[in-house]
Amino acid sequence: MTKQFGQAVENCAFTLEEAKAFAQEAGEQVTPTFCAMCGPNPTCGIYAFVKDGRFTRVAGMLESPLNKGGVCPKGHAAPQWVYSPDRLKKPLLRKGAKGEGLFQEITWDEAISIIADKLQQQKALYGPESLAILSPAHRSYSNYIRRFLVAHGSPNYGHSGICYVQREFAFTYTIGCQPRCDYKNADLIILWGRQPIYSGPAMGAARSLVAAKRRGAKIIAIKPSVEPDVGMADIWAPLRPGTDAALALSMLNVIVDENVIDEKFVETWCYGYEQLREHVRKYPPEWGERISGVPAAQIREIARLYATTKAATIDLGNGVEHAPSSNDAIRAVAILMAITGHLDRPGGNLLVGVRSGMPSPKTVNLAGRYTQEMVDKLVAPEFPRVFQPFWGGTSSAYYRIFDSVLTEKPYPIRTIIAPGTQPTVSNRGSKRVVEALKKVDFYVVLDVTRTADMNYADVVLPVSTPYETDHPFEFRGNWLMARNKVIEPLGDYKSMYEFFLDLGVRMGYGEDFWHGSITDCQNYQLTPFDLTIEKLREYPFGLIFKAKRNAPSYENYSRVFQRRSTALSREPYLPQGKVAIYNTTFEREGFNPLPEWREPPESITGAPELTGKYPLILSDYHTSKAYSAAWQRNVPYLREIQPFPTLHIHPATAAARGIKNHDWIIVESSHGWMKVKAELYPGIRPDTVMILHGWWQGCRELGFGDLPILDGGANVNIMYSVDPDKAFDPLITAMSSQTLVEVRKYE
Amino acid sequence: MSDEQWGFIFNKDSCIQCHGCEVACKTWRAVALGVNWRRVINLWSGEYPHITCSSASIACMHCEEPACVDVCPTGAVNKRGAGGIVLVDARKCIGCQACLDACPFKAPQFGLDGVMQKCDMCLSGKADAPNFSQKAPPCVNTCPTGALALRKMTVAQKKEAEQTMIDLLNISKKR
Repeated sequence: MTKQFGQAVENCAFTLEEAKAFAQEAGEQVTPTFCAMCGPNPTCGIYAFVKDGRFTRVAGMLESPLNKGGVCPKGHAAPQWVYSPDRLKKPLLRKGAKGEGLFQEITWDEAISIIADKLQQQKALYGPESLAILSPAHRSYSNYIRRFLVAHGSPNYGHSGICYVQREFAFTYTIGCQPRCDYKNADLIILWGRQPIYSGPAMGAARSLVAAKRRGAKIIAIKPSVEPDVGMADIWAPLRPGTDAALALSMLNVIVDENVIDEKFVETWCYGYEQLREHVRKYPPEWGERISGVPAAQIREIARLYATTKAATIDLGNGVEHAPSSNDAIRAVAILMAITGHLDRPGGNLLVGVRSGMPSPKTVNLAGRYTQEMVDKLVAPEFPRVFQPFWGGTSSAYYRIFDSVLTEKPYPIRTIIAPGTQPTVSNRGSKRVVEALKKVDFYVVLDVTRTADMNYADVVLPVSTPYETDHPFEFRGNWLMARNKVIEPLGDYKSMYEFFLDLGVRMGYGEDFWHGSITDCQNYQLTPFDLTIEKLREYPFGLIFKAKRNAPSYENYSRVFQRRSTALSREPYLPQGKVAIYNTTFEREGFNPLPEWREPPESITGAPELTGKYPLILSDYHTSKAYSAAWQRNVPYLREIQPFPTLHIHPATAAARGIKNHDWIIVESSHGWMKVKAELYPGIRPDTVMILHGWWQGCRELGFGDLPILDGGANVNIMYSVDPDKAFDPLITAMSSQTLVEVRKYE
Repeated sequence: MSDEQWGFIFNKDSCIQCHGCEVACKTWRAVALGVNWRRVINLWSGEYPHITCSSASIACMHCEEPACVDVCPTGAVNKRGAGGIVLVDARKCIGCQACLDACPFKAPQFGLDGVMQKCDMCLSGKADAPNFSQKAPPCVNTCPTGALALRKMTVAQKKEAEQTMIDLLNISKKR
């Protein structure tokens, strides 16, 4: 059958009925489920098609209120990930020396027993805190990790220290919560260290940006290089990597100096404005220009535009979470929002927004069981102990867990479990991490495909892709849907969820793990809905709940500013019930009460003595259009989009070094060197070069081999300082991803 | 030939350069590695610091007067399909790539067999082409921001769509 020519073709994806009709005609099976190809909480709705038992392709689910039928390239490439030759096949037990890569195949039961025996033995000898489980990003299984740790008695949930929670913390302790952006009503949108396109392009942020642009909103982008979102902007402020705090402080200087503030809001709802006024005198735009590289005139222009545009919103992204001044950068931005009267007003930054009419599923993180003893035992608190637990539980900083293995301070972690994370390529300090992996008593890796560091593992477990399991259900906003199995598992696989349930039972924590039943576990979580998972599954594209009220509610200051913290003390986030411009809580704990500037460990203005040898600033991109973090380089349709690790370098900077487009080059810092390709990139600061992080994996289908993890590869994490005194934000652990480098042609 | 034809409309102001259309095309039509019936490219304009970028999603435009048809020495490329679709007869193609030289959009692609292949708007009726019933092709369906559309258009509109894409591609050449 061919298309009936002459009928209107609308831009629309499949509804369930259309997907079924299509599948029937094509002799295929269709399954509604979630995409699983990007980071935290991937919840785009898809229809997955199976032909002759093989998962072949996906279409967007039109009914999904999240992606509304859109699917990005990662989503479409899913079958190649599922059928990748890089997939792990069987549970493995190390036979040879660490790093050698010699394993013997074992069964899942044997693997669970080996791990459980080791954990029980270590718990008896060293205490439960000797176990750390890594969770680089918050995923659906993160709460299962927390549950296992709490049941075991360890506080050491290893969170990245470089993503999301840093903003959550600094915003919450300044304005009561992390605000949302009112894209719909804003006349001015400032994208600051933000990449609304590469992270979840089908999920709404990009759509909101395009819609705002279409209706004439002005857009300002603040970041070191031009990406497609900058292409949509009216103004680009090309700042040096890691200098967001300096820029924000200079903007505060302008706004305070010119008194373009919301006096009434400041008087009623802010604490410490007088101290701020004095404090920011030392940060005039000329100072800001010297540090950030953004021209003083442009700093003034942006500050004035923001302060004087009534409906103006700032979308602050992950880019600000990679510098030792992160906490102060985020606080300074929060203060900008507050004193200019943009908090919780139409078109500004919302504290509450439209309330979803959907109940919240019960969480499984056992948050009620944290004790002072557990908090005291944190091996490397991501936030100071007095603020723990924060955001769902206690956390230790990911990199510092590895550091504890080497320094044995305050004690060495004995077992590290890495579920879906690759510590040598997804976090800074790879050289120290490798040393720690050689030394740590016991290392467990769970993943779908080969990982960068599995050769150091004692046990490797092959997990199913989310296309091969029927759990967990997912929820987002006002939408709740069961996950359905697209194909039977291609190997001896279990899901990450089943692993934690099985291990929990084997450890004797069965009471806390539904005696191993994932169905009972899901039913427990669904209690507030008065639904079972089987019942939920009867709604093929899930349940969509109507919003409680259609219009967002504004000016919820008295409520939000009174929020109690999740720390054991339950002390309020904002002791004065006002915006903490002058932060007495931080002051009490020995930190700056007002935001200040702190240089990265190696920068042009902070370490001028290095610029003779290393004149360029290096930083990295956190996300890309083709890949999610450090995975998916093995997926051919994605690798074709970005085949080589390339360094973005301004054409003039390259020409001065005799470097032409696509030349292989050496990038060297005082910590390591990479061999990558040059991409002459006219939209980048000439004093800055940037590369995507996470490179190591080859792609067999395209003939690309693996790259070295350490020197000579393309792993940018080896390039940075991990100096404990200089490379971290002292309060929120954010790790520096700026250094100084020189670049030369590879001969 | 009908006065009305199918044509792609690309709106550069809505494209976010996610490459969803490019990969949707590849998975839905099982396009070989190294071959792209649709591709997304970045276009620069200006000089640092007054520089910006835009994107283009390019496939065969199924031109009103296709240069590939004119230059094909064997008559393998033709515009005979209903709705003005430009199709390739693989049996007649000798792989000379004259079409590629002639095409302003560089749409013709060559796989390991050396035979020209390209976008058929998923309307070719070939066995491996999905039947989209009332639906647009996957490249259009998948777009999160509606930057790509398939429309029925007049000859004049078709020419306008072609010119718009040519102008867009020239932005980067002028730089």
